Amino acid sequence: MGSSVSRLLRGPAVLYLPAALFLLVFFLVPLFNVAWMSFTEPDTGFGNYTAFFASSFDVGVLLNTFKTAAIVTLISLIFAYPVAYVAARYGGALGSILLLVVTLSFWTSFLVRTYAWMVILGVKGPITAALIMLGWSPPPQILFTTFASTFAMTHLLMPFMILTLYAVMRRIDGTYMRAAAGLGARPLKAFTSIYLPLSLPGIANGSVLVFITCLGFYVTPVLLGSPRDKMIAGRIGDEIEQMLNFGGASAMAIVLLVATLGLFALYSRFFGLDKLWR
Amino acid sequence: MYSENTLPVKLLAVLIALFIAAPMFVVIPMSFSTAPSLEFPPPGYWLGYYERFFTDRNWTLPLFNSIVIGLGTTVLTLVLAAPAAFALVRHDFRGKALLNLALMMPLVVPHIVMALAYYSYFGMLRLVQSYTGLILAHTCLSMPVAILILTAALKTFDRNLERAAANLGSRPLTTFRLITLPVLKPAFLVAGLFVFIHSFDETVIALFISGRDTTTLPRQMFNSFLMQADPVLSAASSVLFTAVLIAVAVPAVVRAVRGKRAVSPRS
Repeated sequence: MGSSVSRLLRGPAVLYLPAALFLLVFFLVPLFNVAWMSFTEPDTGFGNYTAFFASSFDVGVLLNTFKTAAIVTLISLIFAYPVAYVAARYGGALGSILLLVVTLSFWTSFLVRTYAWMVILGVKGPITAALIMLGWSPPPQILFTTFASTFAMTHLLMPFMILTLYAVMRRIDGTYMRAAAGLGARPLKAFTSIYLPLSLPGIANGSVLVFITCLGFYVTPVLLGSPRDKMIAGRIGDEIEQMLNFGGASAMAIVLLVATLGLFALYSRFFGLDKLWR
Repeated sequence: MYSENTLPVKLLAVLIALFIAAPMFVVIPMSFSTAPSLEFPPPGYWLGYYERFFTDRNWTLPLFNSIVIGLGTTVLTLVLAAPAAFALVRHDFRGKALLNLALMMPLVVPHIVMALAYYSYFGMLRLVQSYTGLILAHTCLSMPVAILILTAALKTFDRNLERAAANLGSRPLTTFRLITLPVLKPAFLVAGLFVFIHSFDETVIALFISGRDTTTLPRQMFNSFLMQADPVLSAASSVLFTAVLIAVAVPAVVRAVRGKRAVSPRS
């Protein structure tokens, strides 16, 4: 027994055990505690889950969360693609500047950028002013609508999408496109039959990252969105802070967690999880 | 001759990049604004909101707390992540893939789920509203980032350097101190910086487990949003943005300048 412990300590275990134990105690155990609470608070059983799925409001919130995540993913993909494409394919000074802007935005906190959209979309903001000048009366309410929070979340997550797309596109050999052109393909044809398929792993990576980040979004929908169409993270927050309903909040958290991990498992079956961050 | 018209797609990319950068063109002028509420363009300019940000205890205390928690998180994360990164890159052992997956888990779990988890768990451990609780929570969440950066650096590390040192009679620990650590220093700096920014920005967990005396800057900003959208917010936001600008842009510029020098040694 003693010798096996000392053998263990001479191996790599001594190097990874501190991190592993730390995550066990301060990550996994708290998570299991949430799962536990979802089945035991206030009563033992599936009560919290049946209550959640029986509530048309809560199911609506869940569906709205998925719908919003899908819209944000699609729009950010459409806008991110050209930026990543130009940066990866043409490089140079323009490419560096594009990457710098995207990286800066990536590291600027969600709160700061959410605040910026609060100003821009606000009643005294430039968009409303412009609409009034164009004769729009009465001035439209933009802030605190579904549009405002969806729009801001798309802006917040676009850098994620661009950087993951870029990571894949950077490795695509540019001579393929010239070869296609040399064989008589028009630029659009060369793009759709060569470049786009080669960039598919980037599209998949970026979309999964953006989608699952969006599923768990708390700050932006709470600050910019309409109270009528909540997202699930906001609902969990309400249950904790206003209702002190830990069982219900835990059940919602587990539903969100299962959805997120399920998506990841599905994704890793088709693309391999290890490629996501490298 | 092969040619394609690249102008439209380049123009499109520039327009989208401008959209991405747009918030900063608003936040920074707003921070010098005299307007008592959210109004753009500003009716006049002054420095009053910066003065309040750096003197009002409602803002200085959260700033101080965020710095303390960020530094604590950075140290603890690096101490735990560095050995794990060595094990993952340099050793093969049973369950390595599983361990790697487990170490990446905090990247996937939504912050609101962890906020609920810590709210109840730290309640039992009596760690709610303490620096310790926030540092422990932030350390869990930034561990994957640190491990990713450190393993990436370790993979490109030339182990012949260590073998040469050993051949010349250096003991393992001396080799580590004199060869391994100095070569990896940039990776440690980058990982530390990323972890610090990560902790400094984290809002959702801080919202639920920080207390009156341990309120972090993002929590103070969030509450300020909900209450009255205090314009000091724009000063706080500009300070945060400037910090990121320095952290991201300065190394990039330095690298660019050094790169040019390396290419043309005469200059």
